[in-house]
Formats: sequence, C-alpha cells, structure tokens
Amino acid sequence: MTTTLTVKNLTFAYTDNQPPVLENINFKLALNTFNLLVGPSGCGKSTFFKLLAGLYPEYGGKITAGDILLNDVSVNNIVPFERAKYLAMLFQNPSRQFAMRTVEEQITFALENIQLDRSKIKQRVAWVLSELHLENFTKRELLTLSGGEQQRVALATILALDSQIILLDEPFANVDPVARKQLLHDLKKLQLKHHKTIFITDHDFSNYTGLVDNLYKIENKQLTKGSTKILDKIIFSKQTQQNFGSLHNLTWNNLSLSIHDKILLQPNTLYLPKGQVGLLSGANGVGKSTFFGALTHQTTYEGDIFYQQKLSTKYKRKAWAQIIGLVFQNSTDQFVRLTIAEELNLSKKHSLHPEYWTDSRINDAYQLLNLTNLSKQHIVYQLSGGQQRKLQVLSMLIMAQPVLLLDEPLASLDSTSLNNVLQLIIEVTQALQLSTLIISHQLVEVRPQIDYELEITDKTLHLRRTTNET
Amino acid sequence: MKLKPLNPAILFLIMLGIGLQTTFVKSVWLNCIVSLLSILYIIIFRRVKLKTIFIVILVTLPLAFGSWWSFMLFGTTDKWHIAWIYGTRVYAYLLIGSALTLTVSVKQLLFNLAGHLKLSETFVFGLLAAFNLLPRVRQQFKRIQYSAQMRGITYRPWQPGLYLRIIIIALNWSGDLAEAMTSQGFSEGYQRTALQTQRLPKWQWGLTILLLLLYTYCGFILKPW
Repeated sequence: MTTTLTVKNLTFAYTDNQPPVLENINFKLALNTFNLLVGPSGCGKSTFFKLLAGLYPEYGGKITAGDILLNDVSVNNIVPFERAKYLAMLFQNPSRQFAMRTVEEQITFALENIQLDRSKIKQRVAWVLSELHLENFTKRELLTLSGGEQQRVALATILALDSQIILLDEPFANVDPVARKQLLHDLKKLQLKHHKTIFITDHDFSNYTGLVDNLYKIENKQLTKGSTKILDKIIFSKQTQQNFGSLHNLTWNNLSLSIHDKILLQPNTLYLPKGQVGLLSGANGVGKSTFFGALTHQTTYEGDIFYQQKLSTKYKRKAWAQIIGLVFQNSTDQFVRLTIAEELNLSKKHSLHPEYWTDSRINDAYQLLNLTNLSKQHIVYQLSGGQQRKLQVLSMLIMAQPVLLLDEPLASLDSTSLNNVLQLIIEVTQALQLSTLIISHQLVEVRPQIDYELEITDKTLHLRRTTNET
Repeated sequence: MKLKPLNPAILFLIMLGIGLQTTFVKSVWLNCIVSLLSILYIIIFRRVKLKTIFIVILVTLPLAFGSWWSFMLFGTTDKWHIAWIYGTRVYAYLLIGSALTLTVSVKQLLFNLAGHLKLSETFVFGLLAAFNLLPRVRQQFKRIQYSAQMRGITYRPWQPGLYLRIIIIALNWSGDLAEAMTSQGFSEGYQRTALQTQRLPKWQWGLTILLLLLYTYCGFILKPW
C-alpha cells in the first residue's frame, strides 16, 4: 500500500475578507523521507500542517482555491478514522492532545477509533510502548509526565495507529535538549525501520544534521524547497561568563520544593542580582517552572523568600504581584484583554515605570518585535504562537516589576525574533535595574548574551560551573 | 461466594428512579431504609477509605439538622413528622447518590452508560476529557488571578471578566483537544471498537424493576410513617 499526499494550487484564508495566509501552493510529499519545514513565526507553518491533516477547514478558515489530495481523494472528504491510518499529527502543546487519563488508556482510545479488534489492542499497546522504550509508563497518569515524555506518548499513539505520514508541529517547543535528541532519534528510527514519512516544523536547527532529506520554507505565503546545507553548520554552545552581581532585592533562604512527595529541590539560599539577566537551565522536569511557581506564590514551598528584607508572606497577594512579574509558559495565560491595543494600553496605564515607557519607546519596541504588520484591533487569541509570545513579553516588560521571571519566552520564535526579544529584555533590565531570570532551552543563542547562568542539577540550584559542552 | 457489584448503568437507573420518587414520598421509614441499604452497599463495594464515608456522613449532619430545625420552628401542622421527613430525606439523597459515586469511577460509569444505555460516545469522551482536566482547572484559576494582579487588576468573584477568561481558556483547550482527537481518528457518529463494559446480566434488570415497583408501592400506597 503506497500513500500519496499532494497539494494542488492551494490558497487558504482564515476569513473571507482577510488576505490569504497561504497562496497557490503546490507540493508533493515524498514517501519514506524525513522532511523539515522552516519559516518565521506567523508565516503559516501550523496552518499548512493542519490543512494537510484535514483539520482545516473543519476547525476554521476556508480553502479559497485548490485542494489537498490523500491517495487522490480530497483529504477533507475522508472520515477521520480512515485518515488516521495514513496520516496523523503531533501538536505543539503536549498536554492538550490527550482525552484519557493514563498512557495505556490513551493509546487504547486511539486504537478503538480505528476499530481494531479488542483482542489485538492490548498487544499493540504493549508493542508500541516497548518500541519507544516507554514500558515503565504504561499505567502513568498523563498529567504527571513532563512535556518531553508527553510528546513521546503522543508519538507512541501515532505509531500505534500505524499512520504512514507523521506530521509534527513544533513538537519540541517545551522539550529540553536531551529529550529533543531522544525524540529525533526515535523519529529517524521510525523512518528507517518502519518506513514512515516524517514532516516536522521547527525553529531550532540543532541536531538535524544528517537526518533531513528535504527542507522546505514558507515565505511570503509561498512554499519553496531549500537546501539542507543550512543545517550543517555545527554551532558550539558557548559558555556563559559568570558575572553574578552583588546588588539585590530578592533573596531566599533554605528554599526547597517537592511535588507529590518527590523532592525536586534541596534547601537552597541565594538571591537574584539587580540589573542583570540570568538564565535558569536544567533538563525537563527538574523543577524550573515549579521554582518560578514558588517565587510567585503559585505553588507550595518550604523555606523563606524575602523582598527588601521583608518576608514574602507578609506582603498581600496583590502587592506581591506588583513585585514579581511572571511571563507564563503558555502565552494565552498572560492575556487579560481581547485585542493587541487593549493589552498594551493596560500595561501602559499600570506600568511601574511610566517615565521610561513613553509612547515612542513602546512604538520602537513594537517595531523591533516586527508586529507592525498586524492591526492593533487583532484579537490576541487569534495571533500565531510566535506573535503571542512577543506581545506577551512586551506587555510584561512595560509593566516592569522589579523582579521579572520569564518561563520560555523564546520558545517557538524564529532566530531574528528570538534575538530581538532577547535584546529588548536585556535593554529594559539594564535601564530599569530589574532582576531578570529566563528559562530557556535555546542555549546557543542565549548563553553568549546574558550575565550569569543558574542550573538545577541533582536537585540543587547553583551557579553553573565551567565545563565545555557542545 | 464473592459478592459482585451491580453494573454501574443499573446502579445509575436505580439511583435515578428512587431519587426522583423520594421527592414526593413522605415517609421517614422509607428514607431510613434507603439510607441504610445505601450505606451497606457503599461499605461492601467502596473504592474509598471508610474514613471518607464517615466524613461525608458527618459533613451532611448540619444540613440535615438545619432542614429538620427549620420545619420544627416554622412548621404549622404535624411539624414533628414533617421535620423528620425532611431531615432524613437529605441523607436518603446523599447516600443513594454516594452508592454510585463512591463505588464506581467516572470512566466505568460513562462507558457502561454508553455500552448499555446508548449514551453517545462523543458525549462520553468529551466528559471524560473534562474530568481528566479538573486538576488543571484549579491551577489555571490561580494563574488567571495572578496574571490580572500583575497588570494592576483584581478579579472579584462577581466580575464577568474573570468568567470570560475562564471560558476563553476552556474553549482554547477544548479546541486543541478536539483537533487532537480528530487526528487520532475519533470520528463522530461512526462505529468504534465496542467499549470495555462490565457484564449486565438479565437478573439485574429484574432487580431494578422490582426495587422501583416496591418503592412506589410502599411510598404511595402503604405510606408508612
């Protein structure tokens, strides 16, 4: 059985009166290959994948011209359970793709959808879990898994469905470098051993050397083929110069963290230096986000946190929120208003540094982030992942709390956007003497630009020692 | 011989049938019998600790007492009888409901309702996903509050803005989940592999009819005190 996926003269728009997102695209996916799709954030990569998967226009938008053919039949005319045997998709947000509670239940659910015989289901579940070395996860609850583990379970679900074509829409956005390598390795194995066709969108080019057969780009609403040479540049992740300042307002004393009786962080005493940008690194699931949760009083912790020598619990919740700003991992958690203009105006109105954030400065920042081509009346929830991220960071920078924690502010950004966002964060931090700490997995880009790096390893938080790493 | 629990779908029907009638039946005796039988069933087939059952009963005490007391205070005719009817009725409702919720998981119940009583599978998996997300909702609520406070706004429980945000986030979640489920082959209105349900022997149907008729007969014809 050979599967073909062909796109013919495709034009797609979200609404009738808006310009199209993709225009006149022609494309044929070569079978049994490993493909990568790149392009700046907001260019329509996710849209293109959802069209290929037959999710659009069912879940939004309109095909104004052309068609997508799966085995010469329009992909939208194929019932989902039939479609799943040929093509399935893995999504950006790991936790929102599971209907069931445990790993075993989730894969069983997918197999019931394609009407696999009950007697064969158990066998198939056991087989995929062993293929991806997830045997120990069989009975685990999905919500307790880390982002990387959840993506591997999602991949196991697709492997169980035996879909010929696997589409992955920024599958590594919330995944640490080690888990990322593991997943890429798994995918290559699926291509070579199980003859799957892999198609990924990604902003981060690392670890793709030697894996990719075809590279595609979306630029100006068009899909073009690019050279895989751009992946061959081997970049060494530079060492952070540890320049840990001594001025500080936020300190903690014997702070320790645990989750479900499992200790994440041993008692730790340190502070965040003023006027500096730090990086908080460590593998997925070590407790970086939980650490931010503790500092913002969102999750429980042991020990004491102080701001200007006053115990954090002595501050009212409202006052604390004006001291510690948090940029959430999920951009949509940040938004308080509906449109871009309202969002920015709200921050401007309540900014803690109105003297700095003049209209012209806000405009400059807005331009630097390349958001000017959007109408300011645009609904924030309809922006692309990358655009949401930039707006989210900007609105918190305008608020300018003395302590600013950013949880993956650079995920799903293309390299230009990434550098601009980082530049803006550094600029504001220095100008307003903020204490800024960033969680990021984009080590190559971030390390050379920041002042210090804190790392969580072996349940301890410490300034990263200088060991060379590629 | 090991006792086997009733099929969740049957248990659901019994709970519904007796619960509805309890609203109209005025009998302290019947309320007590329903409560006692329910407790017995819960203790035998429980999925929770005995302590939980005890707490449930204890927490309800003020409610039952309040109901009893208000009829004692404000009742006009036959106030002793009426007060006891309403006092015990609170427990009858609570315990017959608990006989279902404390012995059966949500998943078991929904699967059996789909398998034996033709509940739509779209509904079943939609609800299941919602239940599985519940632990997240609390965390999300905190996040919404903090995100607003950071921007100088405090949401009060009566402000529509708070609920608008919860609704938008819920819509986002459900949209993403629906797309993922579609991609995993879930097709509305099409056949799936039959769900794993518990057996439903014919005698359980007989038992249901018998119990409901018996209750109707006692409640509306015999009318014990």
